[in-house]
Amino acid sequence: MRYEFRVTGSVSRLMAEAFPELKAEPVPRQTLFSGTVTDEAHLYGLLARFQDLGLSVREMRRLPE
Amino acid sequence: MPPTGLPPSGDGRGTTLAWSGDPLLAAKFSVPAAPRHHVSRHRLLDRVGEGARGPLTLVTGPAGAGKTALAAAWARDGEPPGPVAWLTLDTHDGAPGVFWSYVVEALGRVLPRLRDGITMPARPGSVGTSLLTRLAAATEHLSGPVVLVLDGFEKVAGRRVPAGLEFLLGHCGPLLRLVVTSRRDPLLPLHRYRAEGRLTEVRGADLAFTPYETTALLRGHGLGPGDDVAGALTRRTGGWAAGLRLCALAMQRTGDPDGFARSFAGTEQAVSGYLIAEVLDALPPATAELLLRASVLDRLHPDLVDALTGRRDAEAVLAGLTRENAFVDPVPGTPWCRVHPLFTEVLRGQLRIRHPRLVPRLHARAARWLAGEGLVTEALEHAAQAGDWQYGASEAVHHLLAGALFTAPGGERVERAFSRMPPSVPGAEPALLAAACRLARHDRAGCRERLAVAGRHLRQGGTEPDPEVGLTHALLRLLCEPQADEHSGEHGADDGSGPAEEAARAVSDLMGRLPPERIRARPEIEALRLHGLARSHLGRGRLAEARRLCAEAAGACTTQESLPVQHMALGLLALAESAAGALTSAEDHALRSLLIAGQHDDGPDGRGGAAFVALAAVACERDNQEVAHRRLGQALACRDVHYDPLLAAEAAVLRSRLELARGRWETALSVLPGPGTGEAPWPARRLALARAAAALARGDHEAAVDAVHGIRADGPAPLVALARAHLCAGRTDRSLRLLARAEDSPGLGLPDLVGIHLLRARAALLAGDRATAQCLLGRALDAARPELLRRPFLDCGPWLRPLLDGAGRTDPAHTRAAWLTARGDAGRPGPAQPLSSRERDVLLCVQRMMSADEIAAELSLSVNTVKTHLRSVYRKLSVSRRREAVERGRELHIL
Repeated sequence: MRYEFRVTGSVSRLMAEAFPELKAEPVPRQTLFSGTVTDEAHLYGLLARFQDLGLSVREMRRLPE
Repeated sequence: MPPTGLPPSGDGRGTTLAWSGDPLLAAKFSVPAAPRHHVSRHRLLDRVGEGARGPLTLVTGPAGAGKTALAAAWARDGEPPGPVAWLTLDTHDGAPGVFWSYVVEALGRVLPRLRDGITMPARPGSVGTSLLTRLAAATEHLSGPVVLVLDGFEKVAGRRVPAGLEFLLGHCGPLLRLVVTSRRDPLLPLHRYRAEGRLTEVRGADLAFTPYETTALLRGHGLGPGDDVAGALTRRTGGWAAGLRLCALAMQRTGDPDGFARSFAGTEQAVSGYLIAEVLDALPPATAELLLRASVLDRLHPDLVDALTGRRDAEAVLAGLTRENAFVDPVPGTPWCRVHPLFTEVLRGQLRIRHPRLVPRLHARAARWLAGEGLVTEALEHAAQAGDWQYGASEAVHHLLAGALFTAPGGERVERAFSRMPPSVPGAEPALLAAACRLARHDRAGCRERLAVAGRHLRQGGTEPDPEVGLTHALLRLLCEPQADEHSGEHGADDGSGPAEEAARAVSDLMGRLPPERIRARPEIEALRLHGLARSHLGRGRLAEARRLCAEAAGACTTQESLPVQHMALGLLALAESAAGALTSAEDHALRSLLIAGQHDDGPDGRGGAAFVALAAVACERDNQEVAHRRLGQALACRDVHYDPLLAAEAAVLRSRLELARGRWETALSVLPGPGTGEAPWPARRLALARAAAALARGDHEAAVDAVHGIRADGPAPLVALARAHLCAGRTDRSLRLLARAEDSPGLGLPDLVGIHLLRARAALLAGDRATAQCLLGRALDAARPELLRRPFLDCGPWLRPLLDGAGRTDPAHTRAAWLTARGDAGRPGPAQPLSSRERDVLLCVQRMMSADEIAAELSLSVNTVKTHLRSVYRKLSVSRRREAVERGRELHIL
């Protein structure tokens, strides 16, 4: 399953590197992370990682396959 | 450090937690020191103080919001209402056994007398009382308020610990005050606590810095910002404490604080990324390089960091960073420190970009340093991350970790790390470690396959392997049950020269060649050796030997790490006893086994299900179907019941018996696997006898005879089964001859003995000799009564009833038989003390699903009194939940 996470602020390459499995794409005042999420454990792990890095997730949605 | 008393979930006897003076562990229990430029935030301190007048205060917020800082500041100088027990949680503390042992330790440090209340020696009657019930009871009689701070509760993932905490909150005395900090809302019924006014919350928005507090923070760093700067930074960071601290650091380093504030406020970058980059860019190159390399670590020790950098300045650099209140926090009382997780993640990413090939080399160096310091688990994790499998496997084997892999708490971490090891890694040690990992996942076939590979390597090596390697090989061979029955045949297995005995002897010999202190440090090896031998004996149906060895194995477990082996050994002991008809002691040992695993509170967690199988068997033998069903369900929820051939066979036999008791003959037969699927002799025989019983219940005595003839029928049980089939077929003489042989065979168990008496009684009845039949029935009753063994009587069929009734009129045998029909499980130990009438009223209300408030209204009592009654009901019934109390109450006919 593929997911997209919308995160506040443009995220530097340095921070984006903490999500090697996701593609980071800058949009105005926000960053879109998208990629394949293995399972639910991975999903919650990603959310925790965003939180660990002080990034606030504005929106999260499942992408059509 | 004072010695501590309580094993996390043991039986309170003979075992102590070995805190072993580990300063890293001690740091978990101390209130973190104040950072240098701490801003005292009275509005929040007051809030927590107010919360601590009630049972639960919850501090939630994102990483770096200042949750720990607030709780620590309040514990240090916020005038808490009583002594503060502090517990900093880690990701490895999630297992309930570990978590609760830490809680008891933390509380015990401020309340030395609390431990006495909890370590009360477990009498047989109280053996079911869980640790949580005892902990709750111990907090009932506090002389003043006591605060327990659980810092970082989000690290304890899963439902089981929060469920335990909910129980504690529901049943502890009014003077225990809980303060929990967490990044996420814990899985507690917060809405209910809110509605009941029992919860005080400090949430992310409360933790956010106000512009006034921002000014104070910046002043503390020697900066003199104007109101507009403080306001702008507060707005931009959303009052995020870690962000503001980073701002202060960045501003200290630039010459132009106002310029920094302006450009920061002007960017659209994510706050944390921008600030971290600012701070890292401003570091001297040597410091940055050091942090980059050290980012592979979770915890930094100056010497370890030196080993990674090849320099000698780590101590000075880390001390400097700590002093500057940057993002390096010391672990109090130790030379270790931690880098703030925000930075660790970013630094790791940077390291991967800049020096991708350095990463495995750094992990390999860390592994060697850690192994040298005796931190084996962490060393192995780093070795795995380095892909340095051969080194890691060799270290694990030489540290005799194979046994600890599936027993000790750290074993799971090693197992996880090495599960990624490719099978192509050459050498005996990697194959041995892979074998141990497979066994830890109950994959016996995979374990045997890897052991064969290891064996080939060992033979090719030519030279004699190190004793550690040989020992690991022999121990694993013993535990994965060598299947050599084919060539050893029926005789070889019995003269002590079977493959299991041979492996066990090899383990003993090799143990003798190692220094005694190393063997003493790993008692699980001897315990596993005995356990493996016991399994092998049980597999061949030698119950007495198996029982003796299981008891020895349980007795050999003397440390915290070996408790899981004790759990396994007691479970197997209970299983062997239940098969031999020693039901009382089987039940006792099974409960002790469950208590050790902490499963009594939390349900199965992938550990052994032998104890549940034994409890199901006991209930089945005593004709307590409801309990047997429940226990069997619990057993089937344990993974090993599906993978362990012994347990799988026993569970199938029980399912078949329960189906039979419901009169479903077809199902009873279909739940049994077909014959000849390569089981060890004993499970094969148990399955065959179950097939015979199912066939006989259908009236098909020829099929029953065939089922028994299909196996190697030594021992009394198959003879009794054959005799039963022949008697049904009307071949009385043949049946009696078989019974005579059965009676003379060694290893006659109670169920067999009772069965023999009953079949003889039937034969006498058929011959018209009612007096002899009566006399034989009396003997069967007397033999079965001490254990309340009812099943042989129920299997008898309709002829028994008139004989039993007839007994009543003529002789005192009626009372001899009364227990047989007395429902309600009179034989199981009743409540340690009878319930008072008020307690019984409360329990009746609980049965009607009423809440504490409703019960209070119904019985015109105060809510606190109701809770007191409930607690003593739980204690007397040895349960920890409402549902269990009702079930137990029904079992005991209190309800």
